[in-house]
Amino acid sequence: MNANTSNLCVNLLRESERRSSSPVRWRVMMPICALLGCVGCLLWWLILIGQLFLVRAQLSTVRFDLTSRKTVHATILSQMATARELEGELEQLSWYACGRQTYGAFLARLADVMPSDVQLTSLAIPEPAAQNLAGPNPKAPPLPGPADISETISLRMMGRTTKDTPVEELMKSLTDPAFTNVLKIVKDPRPAEQSPRIHSFRQDLTASPDGKRFLTFDIEYKCVERRFGK
Amino acid sequence: MSVKSLSNQPSESQRAMLFTAVIVAVAAALYMMCIQPCALSVTQARAELDGLENQQRAMEMDLRGAERVKSRIAAAEAALKPYRAALLTPLLGSWAMRAKSILDPVAKASGLKNNDYNELPVRLLPVPKPMPDQLFARRPIKVTCRGSYATIASFIWRIEKTLPLVSVQSFFIKSQSDADKQQAELVLEWPTKGAVTVPPGTSKPGVKK
Repeated sequence: MNANTSNLCVNLLRESERRSSSPVRWRVMMPICALLGCVGCLLWWLILIGQLFLVRAQLSTVRFDLTSRKTVHATILSQMATARELEGELEQLSWYACGRQTYGAFLARLADVMPSDVQLTSLAIPEPAAQNLAGPNPKAPPLPGPADISETISLRMMGRTTKDTPVEELMKSLTDPAFTNVLKIVKDPRPAEQSPRIHSFRQDLTASPDGKRFLTFDIEYKCVERRFGK
Repeated sequence: MSVKSLSNQPSESQRAMLFTAVIVAVAAALYMMCIQPCALSVTQARAELDGLENQQRAMEMDLRGAERVKSRIAAAEAALKPYRAALLTPLLGSWAMRAKSILDPVAKASGLKNNDYNELPVRLLPVPKPMPDQLFARRPIKVTCRGSYATIASFIWRIEKTLPLVSVQSFFIKSQSDADKQQAELVLEWPTKGAVTVPPGTSKPGVKK
């Protein structure tokens, strides 16, 4: 036999009879891993069941708590709604009260400053303009209330006198602070913005029964706006 | 690994593989039939619990504020009391009748009699923004009377003094040849509970003494 023959390795094992030289046997490890996975799943499930019981227990506690206090809470809710409604009423009435204008004291004082040569034929605060309930969008439904919170007011004074001096005197008297809480004095070059604004001051063509000739006047004052709000 | 190669495996290996396959199948079944539905139930229960806990927190907050709400109601009621007493309410369905019942004693004290009372179309109250429901309307009542300038001025002054919510919306005093019988038309305005009840542009017949 030569040297080549001594190195010859004869393997008579069938393939199924061969064993791996590795200490880790896959036919052992594979079922163990699968078993561990299965046990893990089982544990996961048990944990989930525990969590479910816990959450359901909490749920029933909270539900019981909510049910037991439902009546009291409903009372509180209705009280809250009442409070809101009352505060809404109060707010709207406060707005209204804030927009209240008074003229009684003004009219009484006016009689005191009226010169003896002046006779008022009419004194009027005309009705305010119609309310504008149209919003910015013409297609939208009308607003639930006027958008403008203020209303302009004017006082129209018509009368007659024998000469112009008493009217000047009257107009001067009306610049007193006792009247400017109602009347506005505006000196503006634009006639429409002026207050007082003299619409007419002219000779009355009809003479009185005693033959006196009069001057008639028509003066308009802007009044302090009626402003609704706090 | 083909079927042939599997069949060539030793019987222990075949058993191990079969055992592994069975366990994997059990694990898969466990996951699909137990774990997944259970996890879904836990998620749903937690979501429900979160919702109920939020509800519980809100409820506790409301209950804690109960005293504050009561004091708010008491304060609002107290502040509203004088206003409510000053609101105009219809008498036998007529606002003018009620106005007459309120104003006649004032007119008598001022020296005015034979006044006429007429309802005018209601006006809306400008309200804060954003606009809530109109809880009140402005109801004008037209009062027509005759008297001296002093009695008319006194009438207006007395109204403003005794009726805190009545506002003079407009007036017109026209002189007559008899100084004691000047003609006056006053439009007095009251707040009334409720929104517009009379369509604008309509008025009810007046009440004359």
